[in-house]
Amino acid sequence: MKIEQATKERIVRNVVLSLFIYLLPIALMFLTFTITGQRPWEKKAQKQENLKSSTNKPNLNNGSND
Amino acid sequence: MEATIEFIKKIVENLNGFGFPFLVFFIGVLEFSFGLYKRKWPKNERWVDITCFTLPRLIIRPVFAYYALHFLPFVLPGFKNVFTWVPFLWGFGIIAVADDLTQYWYHRLHHEIPWLWRFHRTHHSASYMGMAMASRQNAIYSLFFSQTYLTAALVYLGLGIPAIAVRVIKSTITTLAHSSIAWDKPFYKYKVLHPIAWVLERLISTPATHHAHHAATTDDGVGYYKGNFGNMFFLWDIIFGTALISRQYPKAYGISHYEGDQWYAQLLWPIFKSKVPGSELAADGPVVRLDIAKEELVKEEPVQKEPEISYLQAAN
Repeated sequence: MKIEQATKERIVRNVVLSLFIYLLPIALMFLTFTITGQRPWEKKAQKQENLKSSTNKPNLNNGSND
Repeated sequence: MEATIEFIKKIVENLNGFGFPFLVFFIGVLEFSFGLYKRKWPKNERWVDITCFTLPRLIIRPVFAYYALHFLPFVLPGFKNVFTWVPFLWGFGIIAVADDLTQYWYHRLHHEIPWLWRFHRTHHSASYMGMAMASRQNAIYSLFFSQTYLTAALVYLGLGIPAIAVRVIKSTITTLAHSSIAWDKPFYKYKVLHPIAWVLERLISTPATHHAHHAATTDDGVGYYKGNFGNMFFLWDIIFGTALISRQYPKAYGISHYEGDQWYAQLLWPIFKSKVPGSELAADGPVVRLDIAKEELVKEEPVQKEPEISYLQAAN
């Protein structure tokens, strides 16, 4: 049994529309960032940088825990 | 605001742990206490429901764990948690759309593409609604649940907390939509609640719209197995024109020509075949069988063109 041509066409049309819907929340998020000037990814990079500098501190006690 | 979001996150994390099984159990007990199953839970159906609920977990969980813990790090090395900076509410929106729209398509295609129908048939063969049949699925259908893998990839990329929140809300909505307790009835009964009902029935799956999808009949103004595919959001059906809102509940559920295929065939078709002659799951059965009433019509008028797919259960 084959799929009807009309059903096939409707599926294709709806799939194309779905691709836009998938992208919509991502596009809206970046639009909000542009309007408000937020840059949350920079905060994360900053946090990682701070973490690196605190863990890279040279160990001056030669392994002793006094 | 941040404190509120943190509080919600904690509730959601806890609910994810024990909330869902508790919800299913609690609703199940209520359904039985109200006698909602009556005498419609025969031995064969009990076996189908119980085996479909338990056995697939033994296969699917390890496969899923392998995918999340080994496959994703292998194909996307260096991408772990790269999007943890995405704010919670935006992450929630992204996951909700990605997960539920993918499930809408997975579900719809199993109805509209004839050769896929038999993988989803087990979920529709129950002649009752409720917690007993909510997880009734063919194991292969469950194994390839596409949205699970997409969401796992988004979790790997750093959207773990929003994914848990979506899961809790989605499980609650879909569980309640399958329940034989019509929680939406008061919204249709009292005029003052009609505006809320209007929004609710378009936004999320309700017992009325999802029960219509499980009806044994279609095109009678109540049953509509050709549409109402939405799981969490009903909005997809509205957008794509596959919705029927009637605010009524079908008189009969299931498949009109169902004759109790064996539990192993329903769980693992096409590995195991049904012994019921003429069944869609039988070795020599049709890919899609006509509804009983339609079959009678065809018998009365033998000179007919090829039956249209829109008349078939597979087109629901």
